[in-house]
Amino acid sequence: MGDAATGPVSVVIRPDLDRVARPFDTITDEQWDAAWEAPMRAVIAELQRAFRSGARRIVVVLPTTAMSGGARYAHVAAPAEAVRVLVKSAARQWGAHGVTINAVAIAPEEFLASPDVAGPQSLAAAALSSRDPAALIDFLCSEASGDVTGQTIVVDGGVWM
Amino acid sequence: MTGRLAGRVALVTGAGQGVGEGIARRLAAEGAHVVVAARRAGTGEPVAASIVSAGGSAVCIETDVTQRESVASCVQQTVDRFGHLHVVVHNAFTGAISHRLEDADLDRHWAAMSRTAVWGSFFCAQLAHPHLAAAGANGRLILVTSPSGVEGSANIALYSPVKAAQRALAKSLAREWGHLGITSNCIAPVAASPALITAFERNPALRAAIEDRTPLGRVGDITDDIGSVALFLASDDAGYVTGQTIVCDGGSFLGL
Repeated sequence: MGDAATGPVSVVIRPDLDRVARPFDTITDEQWDAAWEAPMRAVIAELQRAFRSGARRIVVVLPTTAMSGGARYAHVAAPAEAVRVLVKSAARQWGAHGVTINAVAIAPEEFLASPDVAGPQSLAAAALSSRDPAALIDFLCSEASGDVTGQTIVVDGGVWM
Repeated sequence: MTGRLAGRVALVTGAGQGVGEGIARRLAAEGAHVVVAARRAGTGEPVAASIVSAGGSAVCIETDVTQRESVASCVQQTVDRFGHLHVVVHNAFTGAISHRLEDADLDRHWAAMSRTAVWGSFFCAQLAHPHLAAAGANGRLILVTSPSGVEGSANIALYSPVKAAQRALAKSLAREWGHLGITSNCIAPVAASPALITAFERNPALRAAIEDRTPLGRVGDITDDIGSVALFLASDDAGYVTGQTIVCDGGSFLGL
């Protein structure tokens, strides 16, 4: 994403997280490796490529499960929250290079196959019709967002606060 | 022995030194039978012996938290010896060496930290689960994380995500295991661990810098400051506290 002619070179990263609910006591080592190790290594590699390619705006999209946790979604919450905080480390390290990096957290049902992730509900969700994060991502990829870095912005209609 | 944890059985990983040792000593002082799980018996045995000589109950079990079989053996030996397992504290960690995210050799940093912090949490929690469930409302899972797991780190970039993952695990298991009575929480300490003391020796200005940014003006003690928070979470007093991270760092981090 991004066009050097119209704005800073930007990269949007969406971790490849497991989409299946799994009771924690049933998760095998192979499943844990696929759910935790593989996406984390992939995100780290993507971040390195983005930095080396000269990207100045990086946005990572992840589910709010990162912050809420989720029954039967520990294997999703762990890498999602790890990536969310990795964004903060990257922001601290790469800010001096003019690179901003932020996280956009979207509703679990927009990210995962099953919507039954435990978490608080609010009436705000019913009042808001769109959960599309595209406009926010566009802003975070623009010159105008140059002072915004290391942040997590939630686009879920107010379900997770 | 009497105390707030009299009769309880607690397994503490990384208890051969530092924060784990402090937690083990504090839990034992309140009557818990403590398993000092250490990667090397050479560090764990003296801690266990010291607890016993002080009137407590402790045994060292050599444990590599990065290996399922080793953790399984430790859990089984614990139950065989003491009959129960009520409290698991996963503290063992290695690999926090300064690095930058753009470094080419990140894998060696990542592998050590991921294996000890996250895989270790996975093994400890999963293998202890049947025993914590049997303990019901006395079941406690405590993961030792870090303020960096909340705020990121400018110096050790990959330390933060593995510590963040532990916080998410604790929240998720709080939700998943709450109906069993098990609580699941994190401690995020800053304490005078051997690693930090070594860093102070290499860079004397570091202690002053940390103390300057700490409202309480000092670095935490592994037993009195950090062990006491673990004791609270392990005790009946914290039976309604779950899914939380208690930052015990003298007020240095106030971002929660």
